[in-house]
Parts: sequence; structure tokens; C-alpha cells
Amino acid sequence: MTETEVFLQQVIYGLSNGMIIALVALGYTMVYGIVELINFAHGDVFTLGGFLALTLVGALGAAAILDPNTLGDSSHWLLLVGLVVTAGIFCGFLNVAIDKVVYKPLRRAPKLTQLVAAIGVSFILVNIALFWGGAPMEVFGGGNAAAASKDFPEILEGSNLLGEDSNVVLRLEDLAIFAITIPLMIGLTLFVNRTRLGRGMRATAQNPVAARLMGINTDRVISATFLIGGFLGGAASVMWAIYNNTISFQMGFRAGMDAFTAAVLGGIGSLPGAMIGGVLIGLIRAMSDQYIETRWTNVVVFAVLILILVFRPSGLLGLKQREKV
Amino acid sequence: MKQRIARTVATLLALAAPAVLGTAALAADAFANSVKIVSSLPRTGSANAQTTSMVNGIKMAIAEVGGKIGDMTILYEDWDDASPQRGNWDPAVEAQNADKAIADTSVVAYIGTYNSGAAKISMPKLNTAGIVMVSPANTASGLTKAGLGEANEPAVYRPSGKINYFRVVPTDDVQGAVAADYAKEIGLKKVFVLNDREVYGKGVAGAFEARAKEIGLEIVGTDGLDAKASNYKSLVTKIKQAGADLVYFGGTTQTNAGQLAKDIVSGGLKAKLIVPDGCYENAFIEAAGAKALQDRCFITFGGVDPKLLKGKGAEFYENYKKTYKAEPEGYAVYGYECAKAILAAMERIHKAGGTIDRAAVLAEVGRTKDFQGALGTWSFDENGDTTNRTFSVNTVKNGDFATVKVVQ
Amino acid sequence: MAERRFSFFTPGQYAVLALLAATPFIDLAFPSIQLSGPMRTVVVYAILALGLNVVVGWTGLLNLGIAAFMAIGAYAFGILTAEIYPFQVGFWWALLLSGAIGAFAGWLLGAPTLRLRGDYLAIVTLGFGEIVQDGLKNLQTITKGTEGINPLPKPTIPFGAHIDAALSKVGVGSAATTDSAGTTATTALSATESVAGALPRWFDISSETPARWFYLYLILLAVVICLCRNLEFSRLGRQWFAVREDELAARCMAIEPDKAKLKAFAAGAALAAVAGALFASHLASTGEPANYDFQVSILALCIVIVGGIGSITGVVLGAIVMVGLSNVVLPALTQAMQRAGIGSTENVLSSPDNYKYLIFGLALVLMMRFRPDGIVHTRKAVKK
Repeated sequence: MTETEVFLQQVIYGLSNGMIIALVALGYTMVYGIVELINFAHGDVFTLGGFLALTLVGALGAAAILDPNTLGDSSHWLLLVGLVVTAGIFCGFLNVAIDKVVYKPLRRAPKLTQLVAAIGVSFILVNIALFWGGAPMEVFGGGNAAAASKDFPEILEGSNLLGEDSNVVLRLEDLAIFAITIPLMIGLTLFVNRTRLGRGMRATAQNPVAARLMGINTDRVISATFLIGGFLGGAASVMWAIYNNTISFQMGFRAGMDAFTAAVLGGIGSLPGAMIGGVLIGLIRAMSDQYIETRWTNVVVFAVLILILVFRPSGLLGLKQREKV
Repeated sequence: MKQRIARTVATLLALAAPAVLGTAALAADAFANSVKIVSSLPRTGSANAQTTSMVNGIKMAIAEVGGKIGDMTILYEDWDDASPQRGNWDPAVEAQNADKAIADTSVVAYIGTYNSGAAKISMPKLNTAGIVMVSPANTASGLTKAGLGEANEPAVYRPSGKINYFRVVPTDDVQGAVAADYAKEIGLKKVFVLNDREVYGKGVAGAFEARAKEIGLEIVGTDGLDAKASNYKSLVTKIKQAGADLVYFGGTTQTNAGQLAKDIVSGGLKAKLIVPDGCYENAFIEAAGAKALQDRCFITFGGVDPKLLKGKGAEFYENYKKTYKAEPEGYAVYGYECAKAILAAMERIHKAGGTIDRAAVLAEVGRTKDFQGALGTWSFDENGDTTNRTFSVNTVKNGDFATVKVVQ
Repeated sequence: MAERRFSFFTPGQYAVLALLAATPFIDLAFPSIQLSGPMRTVVVYAILALGLNVVVGWTGLLNLGIAAFMAIGAYAFGILTAEIYPFQVGFWWALLLSGAIGAFAGWLLGAPTLRLRGDYLAIVTLGFGEIVQDGLKNLQTITKGTEGINPLPKPTIPFGAHIDAALSKVGVGSAATTDSAGTTATTALSATESVAGALPRWFDISSETPARWFYLYLILLAVVICLCRNLEFSRLGRQWFAVREDELAARCMAIEPDKAKLKAFAAGAALAAVAGALFASHLASTGEPANYDFQVSILALCIVIVGGIGSITGVVLGAIVMVGLSNVVLPALTQAMQRAGIGSTENVLSSPDNYKYLIFGLALVLMMRFRPDGIVHTRKAVKK
């Protein structure tokens, strides 16, 4: 492999991984923007989305789906979109339910109380994912070792689009991530900027009391935020699953941490910031793996983060907030 | 103010109630004429899959003797050395398990630990108390062998000067060498050595690297990976650039060996992969997908495939399948063998008319010689290590492990 | 409120210390529980959480990386005392130096980052935690990587040996000859029990005398509490409160928020490092760097919030409740279930161990739901 090829390859991987992180980060940043809660459970909602997707694939019969003779070629994409939507809706409603049961009664409690409640929810969800993984379903290859990682079947054909002889690998999965993530991001941006509910969101984020006085139903806005944030998390979990082909009950931890980092890096509360932050972290990881050493990658990511924040204290795109008086 | 204090007290009482209940339950522990074997393994979190099969193996061994040696009842308790907030082995919990075992005079044997790091904490404690400790999983060479770890190892783990720590698994230095020899044998030349930056993985990868250099394999790179990373595609690209035809990964299923195997395939790296016995379990195939492993991944294991066992081993295989309705795994055999060795020692004490207590069990386990177990015939040597040097090299064929070579 | 003169403890603090001091007696009643070990862990986490409380509770800075300072303290203690390194300064010097090194590390992280607001600071501290953990893993030549540094020395009581010798000279005991510590290994309170007999080393601490070890840790905790209590009402403490409540107003009162914050960061880090050193000494090993990961920071935060943010008594109670739950109650419950024959390893739902996350998480959610201000609610900690 030449240096250029290596660099190109790392850019591809960095972007793909970064897009997934960005999708999770959007969920963090939206919820934070509205209720100022670092939703620690978001990563674990994401995990459950992955488990739902795997269960669905198993229930539908992975072999039948992957056989082009039975369903035709486009069925792969159909299935993928179907999974994204189902897992998204599931995670969205799960997120709303968690908000209703756990966070809502604490809305007036100190911020850190909500944070600890979110940590508690995260533990509960991890346990649910553990149980889910222990279910002796055919989808897990008959194995019911609960804590083991699960193989997620290849939904898209895995060959190299640039030809089998090419040193640079670009697979359908990489394209799928772009094909699904980018429209979702555009849709979200349009929704927040152009619709009535989106305007309500922005108003609530700016000043909840004033928004309520202006006749905005802030409870509805908050629910919608959790719904959309959860939806993006669920969608991200399917993207993660088809890209890594593995899910495990603890996968939300690292995904959540990366996403949280991305959200802060981009400027917490800022949607384009979360996207840029996610992609940036993906790229930094790839480049550090290649040009430094994998064992230093985490250090590099967080060192860059700290450096950026020292020079831009509100993240890349965050607004400089005035001190509250 | 008064109300506030009352509320505080009420909260505290509500919180204390389960503690008191648990305490009371603990107090009722003494059975007449019984001794206890305990195991201390991480039961919460990601190692749960592996430790469950070990516990199954231990339980089966005890059930096979009917839970009794003579008229002495053998009780078994499965202790967790992980805590929920850690999700992994917790040094404080391992320390308190050891303390608990020491304080409970009915405990005569301690099976554990899973992580070599945890062993370093409980070994000196149990050594001082003179309780025999048999590990089904620790492979760090320094725990028993001088000159392979720190300068003061293993003496620091033996404050009493006596040996109380035994293990049924061969150590890293042996296993790493087997893997390197096999790599050379199948004609591989350039190897990239990875480890998971944990005690076990680093130890075995280090041993592999040393042996590989000795026999003339070229090391084209080394790195330590992050077991929690989502994928290793970027790392695989780097390996590809280095031109390796073999990747050696010192790590376990738990530290993401499955993901690495997948990314090697999807990244278009046409290299073989060799992993140690931490991956000799169905969960590895389950995590990596059989396709990614077929004829391309080799797994070394300190023993032979349970299916190929004869005599005692074959019995174990049949019995396990019947009891748990699953194929026994490498880990299950190790757990079973630990318990078997301890029970056999008790049996010998009983036959000789002695009383089964800590000192007797410790001495007798140390005398284990030519033991015919599920892993073959083996003894404990003067360091407390198994003399078993039988290794098998396995690959995956049609979704199951298939032995390609047995090294004596 | 007027500046107070030095005082030791509030009634609440006396009560919680007395509660802790009573735990070894439970061991006497039920020898198989061995609370002295876990209670040492409780003390360690209490000190860690008190350190975090200075930063989060009093100064209002969210720190998600307190475990990093604990790791620094533990490894500093290890390097300063273990026989494989050249220093070997002994327990007390190492404890003090660990605290100093921790404070320095806190200052080092704080200096460039303290002007960050709220959650931006939180992510920086989280990142610092990851950096320290990975750094310790990778800097193998210094830290032994994942091997852990051991054995580490147990605490010694200053001049304890001299006092023992003096006592034996006047005929109270015979320090040199008998070694009854070994024979009464399982009795937690062997010191007090053997008063009648030939008295050995009163001031010797080892794993055979867990209760003495625990009481020494408890005394250290009492010192930390006393320190915190007097810090709370000092000029500096009130500067911290002022900064937490309103930075701009504080500045108007001629308080320099950055300096106050930096001092809080260093103080918190120093306490966390001391906790780390005590943890390492308690285990006779630093364990591995992964033992000081993000989860530990999270646990410390939960302790502070569950106990009652800003309240010293509350934080210590929080440590008892949280560490007690995960390290004492949950193992005891699963063991009791095993003895009663409940549960098996056959599938994931039937094994009691697999419910630990659930119970732990549920406990957190319920406590927050019904005591959102923590067990001890301080009026001083105005919500933000």
C-alpha cells in the first residue's frame, strides 16, 4: 500500500465511524439543549436498539433475507431502511418513556440529581440488554451466553466496490452510512429550522419560561426532543451493527462516551456542532491508529479535545454564553 | 428541623433493612460436619459468559462425588469478585472475598481467580492463612515462576514461604512458544503482534514475541489495542501496510478478539490470525462469526478438544453435555479440573483416615501426582504449576472448533 | 455568618463516625462477614467523595474525572514505597507526598481549563481521567503497565514499635516474644481481647488485625472530616460558595474566582490522591490502571449526590450506603440466595448475580426520586 492509499483508507474509516458517532451525539446534544441534562442513559438506549434489530433479523430469518433469489437485490436496502425505522421508533419511544417516568418528576430538582438518575437508568438498561442477550434465540446462533458479543449478520454484500485487487477498501456499508446518516441530518436540520415544533424547540432551549409564556407547550416539546433524540440513537445502533457486525450489551458505553465528547467538542446544544464533532473524533481516531499507535489513540483524542476547549471554551460551534447574573 | 431529622433517620433505616437481612442470612451458615469450597470469579459484567461455564464445571465435579466425601458434606459457594459499578473484577471485592474465606473456618479450598491481577491481591492473604488456592484461568508466568515477572516475584505472593497456589492451566510462556512454533511450521514469516493491554494478553503476547524472534520470524510491528473500541479497521489498515502475513493477538473474547477477526476480513487483510486459549470458547465463534474464522484463525489451548478426550475426559464430555445440554468449553474443563483435583485430595485424606481441614487439604493438593483428569494425566510441579504440556492448535471449521495439531 | 473558630465535628459528623466505629463489633457477632475489609473500602471512597465534594458541592464545578487523581495517588504511593523502586519512603511520607502530587496534578489540569463553564469542564475532567488511565497503562517502564505495583506496605503507627517496647519494659506486655496476633487471627478485636493475657504489639497493624487497620483508616477519615469542616467555614470555603452561587457577584466582592476554583481543584485532587494511596495500601497493590476508570468517578459522584451534595455528613453516609450496597449487601444477598438454593447458572434470568446492575441502578433512580436532595439535605447547597 502506498502512503496515499493508506491515507485515503483512513479517511474512509474515519468518516464512517465519525458519522455513527455524530448520529448518537445528536441525541445527546438535543436533549441537553432543551433540558440541560447529560443523558447518561442515551448510550444504553442505543444498545437496546441494536438488540431489537438483531432480534428482528433473526425473526425474519437472516438466511432468507440474504438470499438474492428470494427477495431480489433491492431487498437488502429495504430491510436496512426497515430496521433503521423500527429500531429508531423503538428507541424514540423508550427514550420518551424514560423521560416520563424518571426525569420528568425531577425536572425541578438540582441538575446533578437528574444526572445521577440518568446514571441509574443506564445501569438498568445495561442489565436489560444482558437479559436480552441471554435469550436463547436462534438469532444468537443458538448460544445463550448472555454477556458474550453477538454476531450481526451482513445485511449488505461485503465485497470491495473498488475491485478485489484494490488496496483501498470501500464497501457498501460505508456508503450506506452516508446514504442514511446524511439525509437524517438534513431532515433534522430542516425540522428544527422550518417547522412549528422545531421553532418551539429552539424557543424552549433558549428560555423555557418565556417559551411557555408565548404559548408553547414545553412538555410536548420536551417529549418530541426525547423522541427524536432516541430515534437518531436507534438509527445509529443499526448503522453501528451493520458496520461492525457485532453488538454487545456494553457497547453503549464507548459509543456514549465518544458521542458525548463529540457533542461537547462541537459546542453542546449545537446540531451542526455535534455532527462536526463526531466526524472529527472519527478522523482523529483513524489517524492516530495509523500514524501514532492504537494504544495512544484515546489519549490523543482527549488531548486534542482539551486543547480545542482551552482555545475555544464553548466548543467549535457553541455560542459564547454570557455568565448568568 | 425535627421533621428533617426524622426523615433522614427513616431513609437510613429503609436503606439499612436489606443490609441487616443479608447479614442475618449470612450468619446462618454453619452446617455440622461439612467443609466448604468457594470460588471467586467475576460473575457480573463481561466475563460472565466464561465464568458461568467454569462454575458449571465445578458444580458438576462436586455432583459427581455426590456432594460428599465419606460422611463429610462438601458445600460449594460461587462468589463474585466483580461489582456492578465496576462491571469487571474489583480489587476491593477480591480482597474482601479472600478475607471472608479466611474468616469462615469451614472454607478449605479457594478456586480462583479469573484475572491474574486479582490473584496478586488474594494470593498473599490466602498464603498467610494457609488455604489452598487453585486457579482455573490465571496464566501470568510471574505468579509461580521466578525470573519471568518482576524480580521479587513469586516470593511476594508467598509470605509464609510455603506454596499454596496451584493452577491447572499452562502458563503464558509455554503457550506463547507453542503458537510461535506453529506459525513457523505453517510457513508464516512476518508477524504483527497485538495485545489487549491486560495482564493475560500482554503476558502471552510477550512470550509469543520472544519465541518468534528466537526462531527467526520477523516482527513487523507491535501495538496494544483498546478492548472497548467499536472496531479495528484503522489498525488493520496499518497492519496491511506493514505487510504482515500473520497477526498474533494476545487477548480474549471478552477483550474483543471477535471484532478484530472480523475487521481483518472486512479490511481485506489476507493474513492468518493466532489467538490464545482465552478465545477457545463458543462465544468467540459466536462473536466473530464462523465465516471470519474458517481456516484462517488458529486458537491454541492447553489441553485437547474435550470431544477427543479418552477415559476420564470422555466421561466428562458426555456428562457435561447431558447436564447442561451444551458442548463443554475450554473454560468448563478448567473449572471442572480444579474442583476434581481438590476433591481427589480430600478423598485421599479420607481414605488415609485423616480429617479434612485446611492444612490437610493444602498439603494433599500439593501432592497431586499423575492425576487422571479431563485434561489428561498431570501433576503439580514444585512451583504449583501443572505439568501438563499438552497443547492443541485448533481452527474453526463449519462453525465448530477443529483440532489441527496436538503438541505434547 | 461570622467566621468560626476551630472546632472538631458537628453532632451529625460525630454520629456518622460513631456509626462507622461500631462496625467491627458486627464482626464479633458474625465472624463470617468480615466487615473490617469492606469498611476500609468505604473509608477510602468516603475520602474520595469528600474530595469530589469540595469541587462539585462547594465550588459548583462538575468533575467527572476524580478517579484520575485517585490513580495518581495510588501509583505515586506505589512508586514511593514498593521495594522494586529506589525510594521506599514508608507509609506516612508516601501518603503525604501522594497528596502533594495529587494537588499538583489538580493544579496542572485546572490552570488552563478552569475558565471553561459547567459541562465543558466536565468533559475535560472526563478526558483527563481517560488520559491518566491510558498513560499509566502505556508507560510501562515507570508504572509496570497492567501488572500493578506490589507488594505495598501496610500502615504503621508512628512510634508504635517504640511504645510497645517501652510498655513491655515496664512489664505491661512483651513485644518481642509473643505473637498472639497470628493465633487470634479471626478475632477482629484481638487487641482489646487479649489485654488480660501477655500483651503483644498493641501498635502493630497487619491483615491479621483488620479492626486496628480499619480504626487507623477511620482516624484518618476523621482528620479529613475535621479538615473539611474547618475549610468549609474558612475564608476560602466562603469564597468557594460565593463562586458557586454567582461568579460575577463574587468578583464584585473582590474574590478572584479563578484562584478560588484552582484551590478547590487542588484540594479535591489532593484528597482523592490520599484516598488512592490508602486504597493501594489497603490492597497491598495498586491493582491495574483500569481499576481507576470512569466508573469509579461515576461512583464517587453518585456517593456525593446520594449522600447530599455539600454536606460532609451526607457524603460519608453516601459512601456507606453506596459502597455498602455494592460490596456488602449485594454479595451477601446473592450468597444467601445460593444457600437457600434459589437460582442456578442455567440461564441468564435464573442467576442472582445477573440482577446486580438492575438493583444498583434501581436503587439510584429510587433514591433520586424520593430524596432528590440526598440523604442529608443542606440548605446551603442552593440548587442550580
